[in-house]
Amino acid sequence: MVTPMDLTVKIGPATLPNPVGVASGTFGYGGEYEGLMDLSRLGAIYTKAVTLEPREGNDIPRIVETPSGILNSIGLANVGVEQFLAEKLPALSTLPCAVIANVAGSTEDEYAAVLDRLESAGSLWGYEINVSCPNVKHGGLAFGTDPRQIERLTTRLRALTKKPLIMKLTPNVTDISVIARAAEAAGADAISCINTLVGMVIDTRTRKPVLPLGSGGLSGPAIRPVAVAMTWKVCRAVTIPVIGMGGIMCADDALQFLMAGAAAVQVGTGTFVDPEIPIRVLEGIEEYFHSAYSPPCR
Amino acid sequence: MKLSTPRILFNRPLCSDFYEMAFTWEPLLTAPLPGQFFTLRVSEDSAPLLRRPFAFSAFNAAAGSASMIYQIRGRGTGLLTAKRAHDTLNLLGPLGKGFPLPGRDRDPLLVAGGIGLGPILFLANVVRQQGRDPGLVFGCRNAALIPDPSALSDLSPVICTDDGSAGFKGTTGEYLSSIESSITPKTVLYACGPLPMLKLCRDLALRKGCNCFVSVEQVMACGVGACMGCAIKMAAGGYKRACIEGPVFDSKEIAW
Repeated sequence: MVTPMDLTVKIGPATLPNPVGVASGTFGYGGEYEGLMDLSRLGAIYTKAVTLEPREGNDIPRIVETPSGILNSIGLANVGVEQFLAEKLPALSTLPCAVIANVAGSTEDEYAAVLDRLESAGSLWGYEINVSCPNVKHGGLAFGTDPRQIERLTTRLRALTKKPLIMKLTPNVTDISVIARAAEAAGADAISCINTLVGMVIDTRTRKPVLPLGSGGLSGPAIRPVAVAMTWKVCRAVTIPVIGMGGIMCADDALQFLMAGAAAVQVGTGTFVDPEIPIRVLEGIEEYFHSAYSPPCR
Repeated sequence: MKLSTPRILFNRPLCSDFYEMAFTWEPLLTAPLPGQFFTLRVSEDSAPLLRRPFAFSAFNAAAGSASMIYQIRGRGTGLLTAKRAHDTLNLLGPLGKGFPLPGRDRDPLLVAGGIGLGPILFLANVVRQQGRDPGLVFGCRNAALIPDPSALSDLSPVICTDDGSAGFKGTTGEYLSSIESSITPKTVLYACGPLPMLKLCRDLALRKGCNCFVSVEQVMACGVGACMGCAIKMAAGGYKRACIEGPVFDSKEIAW
């Protein structure tokens, strides 16, 4: 008889059933992947970023493939918080897993207004605050690179909710541990790291960047060693749980993040490559912990 | 839309650039329609990383098979040419919206440029099954790029080559201009191919007051509407996703 391992993850006042979630921006509003994987197995779904007003997103093209990675410049295209509440949340609430809304904004007020509206709906498990999008002109990265702004924003949002509040950090800083400590000091329940790395691809025929804004955000296996190192660093800087992500394609990749100190992980680009990857990662982690902790003789 | 692991029936070169691959299509899977597409994970490795989208070029329910015509463009498609009969594919599909079929009182005119041939052939065969012979135009740079006739299933397209090495000398656009007087408001244009060709078909349709449906290409990450990567700019403002609302659009909808 195999005793099921306890893989639950405690974040602030709440608990996730297991450590494998699907990353914001790669999973839409959840329903897109229904039927392609058993959503009830997921630890959590992190929604597409929600902003106060609807956003069309950036000019096209928005994606270019790079060696073992993707450079994207989506620009937080989303339906806005009101339409999210009216059209997306009802279906999201029926999904058999924890739903964490990813919140983005251009100003502190906007972040607060979105969180306030989402909080009124009641059915979300928690919030991941995107202070790290490299593809918008205002907000995003500007918040994520300044520890004072992070501290102020986290304090403000903390006052609005008792639910798990997760700050999603950018790797595009000199020292990510300073930012992580600022978020922790202001009452964040967890840190997600990392968002995408700023990158650029130039078309040598046109002599111009392929993406209309020039640079974009790099994700995928190409950034995994950077993400593991950042996770390691953050885990040594804070005592709150850390959710690691960056190029996870299999259980072994995820285990690297857990061994670096992360309490949970997110699969992002991997889901694009194969929608079976998130569950396979979870099964691989279960198998690893089961074999690692099996009593030597039975 | 489902993940499946069809078995390859054959994978053969059709001309200097194109391959045709046929694979099994299980009866439990949704039947693909002309204009719909699927994505393949072409490698277990991390490079090339993203799944590659391909349009269906044929579907045979009785035989339990489907096909695509693909062009060797880079590493992903290069890897595909090495696949052999009995190998399995990691396939997600059918995806997207296909071509709306022409009404009984319409005259379908199908235009394919280069690798746009696949979905146009599929549509031509479906129209033919309805008991009509659609007009069919295929354009490519030169005679070396004309697919083996066996792939055309008895359809006899008007061939246009840029250099005149076969058929009509000139682009599909130049050919369409030469027959413009035969195009009426009852004509329905269906086009898949390079952007300038699609735009030309749209302009022609506007001039002649007929409908025109185009299948567009855009870099795609998820293929299921989650990532917002494959956006196409709309004339009415905003964007639509090629993978969900497309890849076939009414040409009037698109911001050209």
